[in-house]
Amino acid sequence: MKLSTATWLICVSIMITCVTPLIVGNFNDAYSFQVEHKQEGRFENKVNTTNLSGIEYLIASIYNNNRLMYAIIVTVVMAILGTIMSYLTDLVLKALGLEVSRISHRE
Amino acid sequence: MNILDIHLPIAGIEFNALLLILIGFCVGVLGGFFGVGGGWIVTPALNIFGFHMAYAIGTDLANIFGQSIGATKKHHKMGNVDWKLGTISIVASIVGLELGSQLIIKLEKIGDVGSVVRWCYLFLMFSLSTLMFVDYFKTKKRRTLRGNPEGADYHERSSLARRLHKINLPPIISLPVSGIERVSLWAVLLVFASTGFLSGFLGVGGGFIRMPALVYLIGVPTAIAVGTDLMSVLASGAYGCFTYAIKGRVEILAAILMLLGSSVGAQIGATAVKYVKGYGIRLLFAIMIAFAGLSIALEQVYKISGILIYQKAAGILLMGTAASLTLIVIVKLIIEYKKEKKKGT
Repeated sequence: MKLSTATWLICVSIMITCVTPLIVGNFNDAYSFQVEHKQEGRFENKVNTTNLSGIEYLIASIYNNNRLMYAIIVTVVMAILGTIMSYLTDLVLKALGLEVSRISHRE
Repeated sequence: MNILDIHLPIAGIEFNALLLILIGFCVGVLGGFFGVGGGWIVTPALNIFGFHMAYAIGTDLANIFGQSIGATKKHHKMGNVDWKLGTISIVASIVGLELGSQLIIKLEKIGDVGSVVRWCYLFLMFSLSTLMFVDYFKTKKRRTLRGNPEGADYHERSSLARRLHKINLPPIISLPVSGIERVSLWAVLLVFASTGFLSGFLGVGGGFIRMPALVYLIGVPTAIAVGTDLMSVLASGAYGCFTYAIKGRVEILAAILMLLGSSVGAQIGATAVKYVKGYGIRLLFAIMIAFAGLSIALEQVYKISGILIYQKAAGILLMGTAASLTLIVIVKLIIEYKKEKKKGT
């Protein structure tokens, strides 16, 4: 079975996502952007769902009840949506005549 | 309440949906064109408009992950991704990053390192932009003297890269995609470990450090440096997205809206690489980091003086730079495309 580049990229990304935390314990400290943000309470914050409905309620419920599931959903949704959107944009750009192929590297 | 305002349940705020899409679009164009994640634009932008810093970082990382999938794919199609070099860069960067973040943790125990880090950040940004400006004008002068101002289909390596290629420490590897016949693996690992260390120390994703390092230290052609760097951005974005989401710091609705803009922008930015010569990309990159550096300098003045106007000026400058560069890239793409079409007919 031959995987497309996009599928391969998503698989590699998800693999790296799962494996890296096991290898590097506090890698996330590097994302303390410009040392402005101090780590706050890690898992304790909950969203008040009383005034929420529909998709907002669903997201908030998953967020409150299962943080791991929330993280998996976020990662997978971003991967799939990113792939679909880039595919659609690519189609539009092709229709406009902006198709790309292998380029010569002019410095 | 504006008709475009939406409620973001995780961050607990109202936010303009169009603004999110526009911020995403700008960072997508710049990310696809320069091979960077663009966290230095999105995080402060979201923060200025009301996002808490932790949610701004997490949401931005989720967006970076999504947008870089399409951009990397497009660069791969153009032959701009050196997978071998990219894999080495990810492995070495993780080691460097860990060392850099460990150093920060140790220094934080001694005292407040925020100010020191910001000064280092400033120094790095201005040094990099100066180096790239000097390189641009030297290249332009050299080509004018040769009677070839428009550039050619060859790649002139920096003297640093040529020296690095002479290191004979085994194992020696070749990077055919980047046009490098032989280079010591240790030298390449050292370069990426150093850029990773700087990323960890400064607390940034590191695309703006890696891209020039690929060009000036490893000797990779600019377009390949952009594509290969995007591959590393994709990996760090994937990890950042997951780790921040598990800590509850990703606002998924905001990330989705930003991704709608950024994935379109990233395709446009990546396509523009086809039409702009290497030293043109480097010039725009130098302008971008010079203004970003200026914005950080204003932020630093605010921290010292406490005068709010400096902070506002920093935010406006940053977003103005992002919007202007986005416009430049799009206009350049349209002009060059029209030229190409004209030639074809």
